[in-house]
Amino acid sequence: MTNTAGAYMARPRPTLGANALQSAVSSADPAPGLLPGHDLPVAPRIEIVPSRSQKRARPKIAYAAVVVTGVLAIVVTQLLLSVGLSDGAYEISSLQQQQKELDRTNQVLSEQFDTLSSPQNLAASAAALGMVANSTPVYLRLSDGAVLGSPAAAGASAIGGSEIPNSLLSPADAAAAAAAASAEAATAAATAAAQPTSEVASAPPAAPQSADVPWQGALPSPTTR
Amino acid sequence: MTAAVSRSTRRRAAFAVALVAAVVIVFIVRLVSIQIVQADTLNAASLDKLSMQNPIYGLRGDIVDNDGTVLATTVLRYDVTASPRSVTDFERTGEDGKTVDVTPTQAAAEIAAITGQTPEAVYGALTADPSSNFAYVTQGIDVDAFRAIRDLGIPWLYYESNPVRTYPNGAVGGSVVGFTGAPGENGLEGLAGVEQLDNECLVGTDGLETYERGADGVAIPGTTETAVEAKPGGTAVLTIDSDLQFFAQQTLLDRITEVGAEWGTVVVSEVKTGKLLAVADYPSVDPNNVDATAEADRGSKAFQAPFEPGSTFKALTAASVLDAGLATTQTQVVAPYIYTDANGASTRDSSFHADPLNLTFAGVMQESSNTGTAMLGELLSSEQRYGYIEKFHMTTPSEVGFPAESGGILAPWDEWDDQTNLTTTFGQGVSTTAVQIASLYQTLGNHGVRLPVQLVEGCRQADGTMTDTVEPTGEQIVPDAVATDVVNMLETVVTGGYAKSSLEIPGYRVAAKTGTAQMSDGSGAYSSSYITSVAGLAPAEDPQYVVSVSIAKPVTIDSALAAAPVFQKIMSQVLKQNRVLPSTVPAPEMPTTF
Repeated sequence: MTNTAGAYMARPRPTLGANALQSAVSSADPAPGLLPGHDLPVAPRIEIVPSRSQKRARPKIAYAAVVVTGVLAIVVTQLLLSVGLSDGAYEISSLQQQQKELDRTNQVLSEQFDTLSSPQNLAASAAALGMVANSTPVYLRLSDGAVLGSPAAAGASAIGGSEIPNSLLSPADAAAAAAAASAEAATAAATAAAQPTSEVASAPPAAPQSADVPWQGALPSPTTR
Repeated sequence: MTAAVSRSTRRRAAFAVALVAAVVIVFIVRLVSIQIVQADTLNAASLDKLSMQNPIYGLRGDIVDNDGTVLATTVLRYDVTASPRSVTDFERTGEDGKTVDVTPTQAAAEIAAITGQTPEAVYGALTADPSSNFAYVTQGIDVDAFRAIRDLGIPWLYYESNPVRTYPNGAVGGSVVGFTGAPGENGLEGLAGVEQLDNECLVGTDGLETYERGADGVAIPGTTETAVEAKPGGTAVLTIDSDLQFFAQQTLLDRITEVGAEWGTVVVSEVKTGKLLAVADYPSVDPNNVDATAEADRGSKAFQAPFEPGSTFKALTAASVLDAGLATTQTQVVAPYIYTDANGASTRDSSFHADPLNLTFAGVMQESSNTGTAMLGELLSSEQRYGYIEKFHMTTPSEVGFPAESGGILAPWDEWDDQTNLTTTFGQGVSTTAVQIASLYQTLGNHGVRLPVQLVEGCRQADGTMTDTVEPTGEQIVPDAVATDVVNMLETVVTGGYAKSSLEIPGYRVAAKTGTAQMSDGSGAYSSSYITSVAGLAPAEDPQYVVSVSIAKPVTIDSALAAAPVFQKIMSQVLKQNRVLPSTVPAPEMPTTF
């Protein structure tokens, strides 16, 4: 093997011009170093010839090793792959189950949310907290500070809530609202006793409509980004 | 010897070979039979055992109001079924690790405690037909009950889920939203209201998924196939504002209870868009519990029940006469108590007065004088008046296309008798729906431009696109000047009419018309019952909202005073909720008498 390599290495480089044809020919030769009449020096061809048994034995082990390793590798890969796959299948199945459960929880919560935010429930809860609606709003115009509308204190008319039927609102909700109402009423009564003028004070002052001194510059307002 | 041995050996060998060959042939035949001849049958049988079909619900879409509040949605409810054949004792391992035996009777009692049935009923269902393989234990339970029953760990129970409709706001907008039938072959089919109107938008398509499963029920990797893609239904977006809707219903209900009326409607619409913000009916169905409402009251009277509007219709007569150029707001009329026209038809005025009243056209509206309106109205021919009524869309159903919507009742002008000819000027002998009256006032408030009545904004598909939207193309019915004149005349009703104190809203200019119409008794004559109504606009200088209230058959009050406080409260609420600034321009000078 060494001498063959040597022969190749010793080959002259193909030169341009007149030698190009020759080099093309020589490069097409299967074993140019062995050609008789070639003008290159040929190395002596001496080497140890392996015995027949040696020749046969050596590749046998290599082949066997390769094949066995290959088969093992394939088996192991396939095993791992199918373990992975079925692992995945179980994981998918458990995640799907989990998703189903979460969907159910989501459904329960959104149902509850929608029902609790129904106007009937909100009105009842607001009334239970002692809130009343004021139908005479007053507007403050920012551009010139003018007060629009005629302010008046809210009357005691709360909007009732339970008369528009909603069979989703269970009696338990109503009971809770009623309990909250009585507790709030007690608090409200106490507050009212302590502050007899609270209702009057809660109404916005109606005076600054005359606006002798109009507002100069921008009104302070919160900066929101 | 050697020859003999070898012969017997050969014979035995031959026998063995023949035997092996025979066995191999048998195997080959069997193999061919299984792998080729019977292959399809066996494959199918195996697939049958392995494969599972999993329906994927394409749930019916939601109905939401104009800010996304859910008015109708689909949720899953559960049926619990059992196989009575396999109902036996089973063992349950408690938390302390001890195993206890549970009998079917005990299991039935446990289920009953969760579902609220009697233990006997549950046990009865389980044992009614012991040879059967299927029995309902309970149906339509919610997630909490389902989980509780599942956690009992009863091996012979099975569970199914079903989509059902739920309406979180109950009767708020119930008559408009409508309801669906029970889940059946066609899924949930809309039977009333928007559920029916927009069924096509809402309906979803169920999908189907198939997979093969192993012994433990887990899908075999790579076998899941979606046979049919599930497609959830679209969302019907309404123009209704659910808070306002609630307020309108509550206010109407309070007043109806107070005056002992039979039924009533409130319609709130937006002048600049023609959108309905609230359509309140009393009585109104709670779609969660349809059976609790009488069948006749399950619809929306505002769309479906035409009634003789009475004086609120005078606005149309006024607009017609002004548009024809036959009168101005200051045209003077001497209105007698009893007026008999050229055809011999006669009518009495709304309230008794011995001397004729010297009224301007505006005064006729303010006093709601029937004789004055008839005299002015008859300046037009019947044909012309019919033409105007038709032009204002009083003879056709609105663009909403509500199920069973009425388009009012009015005979063609050439079939009018003399009395009808006279009374149609002030809203008797003609029937309209509350929605049509609201649309009439919308036209007058919007400078004479009528916009299509809208209840459904559109259908929002799963990908967020809106379809089926209405193109709001206006139609100029009368010129701006005529519409403005009518609104100004209507304002005198609030500033000086008999219901002044019930109609005024502090800080705002309001234009409204009261009406008290005798109701038909159903056989061609008038009954002693009235339908009282108020329709109006605010703020009068630049109308933004229409509120139209009708209350039928009030007992304690039989004038429009029954409806006026409802109008006043709801209009105040609309103006407050939408931050309409109080009026700053004073009302125009509009003499009503001379």
